[in-house]
Amino acid sequence: MTILPTLTRLGFGISTALSIALFLAISASQAVADEYSDIAKLMKGNQMSEAMSKADQYLASKPRDPQMRFLKGVIQSETGKTNDAISTFVRLTEEYPELPEPYNNLAVLYANGGQFDKARTSLEMAIRTNPSYATAHENLGDIYARMASQAYTKALQLDNSNTAVSPKLALIRELFTPTTGRTAVTKPTASNAIAVAAPVVVSPAVPVVTTSPAGTSQPGMGSTIANNALITRDVTASAEAWAKAWSDRDMKSYLASYGKDFTPPNKLSRAAWEEERKARIMSKAKISVKLSNVVVTVSGNTAIAKFKQDYKADALATSSRKTLELIKAGDRWVITKEIAG
Amino acid sequence: MLSITLKAYYLLFFRAAVLIAAVSAALYPYSKTFAATTSTTKLPTKVDTKFVPYEPEARLVEIYKLVGSGKSKEALALASRLTTDFPNFQLGQLVYGDLLLLQTKPIQQLGDLPTVLTKSAANLTALADLREESSLRLKALRERPPTGTIPSQLLSLSARNKHIIAVDTSKSRLYLLENTSQGVRLIADHYISVGKAGTGKLVEGDLKTPLGVYYLTTPVDPKTLAPLYGGGALPINYPNPFDQRLGKTGSGIWLHGTMPEKYARQPKSTDGCVVLANPDLRKLMMTVAVKTTPVVIASQLVWVNPAQLVPERTQFEISLNQWRDAKNTGQIDKLYSFYMADFFNYGRTLKDWWPSTLAEVKTANKRPIQWRETTQLMWRSDASSKNPNIMVVTYDETIPGIKHATTKRQYWMQSGNQWKIFFEGAIASS
Repeated sequence: MTILPTLTRLGFGISTALSIALFLAISASQAVADEYSDIAKLMKGNQMSEAMSKADQYLASKPRDPQMRFLKGVIQSETGKTNDAISTFVRLTEEYPELPEPYNNLAVLYANGGQFDKARTSLEMAIRTNPSYATAHENLGDIYARMASQAYTKALQLDNSNTAVSPKLALIRELFTPTTGRTAVTKPTASNAIAVAAPVVVSPAVPVVTTSPAGTSQPGMGSTIANNALITRDVTASAEAWAKAWSDRDMKSYLASYGKDFTPPNKLSRAAWEEERKARIMSKAKISVKLSNVVVTVSGNTAIAKFKQDYKADALATSSRKTLELIKAGDRWVITKEIAG
Repeated sequence: MLSITLKAYYLLFFRAAVLIAAVSAALYPYSKTFAATTSTTKLPTKVDTKFVPYEPEARLVEIYKLVGSGKSKEALALASRLTTDFPNFQLGQLVYGDLLLLQTKPIQQLGDLPTVLTKSAANLTALADLREESSLRLKALRERPPTGTIPSQLLSLSARNKHIIAVDTSKSRLYLLENTSQGVRLIADHYISVGKAGTGKLVEGDLKTPLGVYYLTTPVDPKTLAPLYGGGALPINYPNPFDQRLGKTGSGIWLHGTMPEKYARQPKSTDGCVVLANPDLRKLMMTVAVKTTPVVIASQLVWVNPAQLVPERTQFEISLNQWRDAKNTGQIDKLYSFYMADFFNYGRTLKDWWPSTLAEVKTANKRPIQWRETTQLMWRSDASSKNPNIMVVTYDETIPGIKHATTKRQYWMQSGNQWKIFFEGAIASS
């Protein structure tokens, strides 16, 4: 399988991460497949004009070949011939509506031209065509985020029109700087990027303390159970202290509940995450976080606390399941991961 | 997953959403006309193409309703149309942003801004204002005036008062009532913004919106208006004689529109004016007649059944009829006793003004004077303030021997069971 160069270079971190696997699957012969890989190789080596002349040569004899036309479209995109690339991909979507990749690439080109609505429609078509096409899901997530930023910026327009401009620019810079490279082989992100509308299933909480087999295999034999009970008590106390700091809007203690190995959600940096938490928490006049049905599982120097979290802030009141992963740091238990659900 | 929290957040407001939508559709008689002239917006995804209200607020409610029932995709499609049709409706943009983000991550609250936008204090203020606007709009839609009720200030209306404007500042809402032979009915209501410093205007520059009973005066020519005032301006007669008596100052209190970049302004954002969205203001300007349209501005309107006002009106009319009788029968001393010592008329004292009344009585020469088109508006002062209740009476007076009727206005003040006049004067008839 060959991974073609992505369209990421066109900017903004929207990835196309084109896989030609699908095309190879429908290709007629190994010899033809070799033609594709040769051109892909040229493209990878950034020899675009050579790649283009090879593609044109091939298309002279087989003008309708979808794989080669697709490659040509990518070359056109990579060489800044955006309009040509768009018409190449548009024609492919018309003639081969079952292929998701042309839709995806069209979306990238539209997005780069600021036509988010068109980009979104294209990506939705790509997903409709092939629901497990991870790249389209990821790109769609990016499109939504960019459209949301636009909408928020319009929502926050301030009386002084000068100030309305700067957050917009800052926003674009921060949101659209690619943080991680993406490839077609990334696992489908549908679970965290798309369709979060599934309702919370609150499983019946078991008011018991369990210990994992790893916990019982700890040296200490007869005292293991008692020892685990102590650990469980400490872990529960840490979780309660975390909830109290949150309720008290005591940012120092709250942030100190998280260990240095804590992985912030949404790929945020620790600093950005702390900022976000501060903004969230300090913007509330009053917060109350209550934990119930705490179930702790201990394994060596790590522990998992699962509980029901009743959260109240100003007018908002929600109840949800929460899981904290903790690690022992000195004589304290600190959070390494916080998971909703 | 946390989308449920957004759902919960919107649900806080939308228990009565179905009812609200039905009510708002009924309240906007213009919907269809406007809907027909709107350019058809291309839908981003397939949605039910059933009737969609035109007014941004009714559409926002529709969106909240969908969010409340977990239909975020449909809500997103409507939000996309809303923001296409009204890009300057900031609350619509905010909800659109939320719904877009909801496709990629959980949303915790209305206006779940990305961190990069929450760093600026100005953004946080703008966000708080939008949330306030949302909650005020919903409050007004939830707590609707019961059918058949009218604001308690409208003690008695004349056929000449075709419309009445009533503003409830606690709900950021303007109500437009129509006075027909079948009674008074609510025909429209709109979100409004008031003074930065709230209400209860006292002095010039205090950034407060006055509270009281007023009338529309000469409208301002839209061509002369700065863009800040939007589609037009309907001035009211602040400071009225009661305000003047209390020493209140300031001027130029208008009902006006918004600047082009904003569909609606923040709830408390004006220098004292009442600001409406431009389409709402234009509809209002097309509907109401100036000079004969009362404008009630109250911190909290009390909606009552008209029958409930009968006792107060009857009590007042005892004084009013005695005054009429005294004037009709030429009982000068009795007539004089209805006027307060500190009476004034456009800068004249009672002593300066009294001869004109004497002249009228003399001209009538005990032939019956006619009073027609009488309007009685009652301003009840807060229990906390020491101010008395006020009655504003407007009428046409025809003196036998004088060819034309004169439209006059009196301000009466209650003292126990007695009512006395502290202002009387002709007003330019319409």
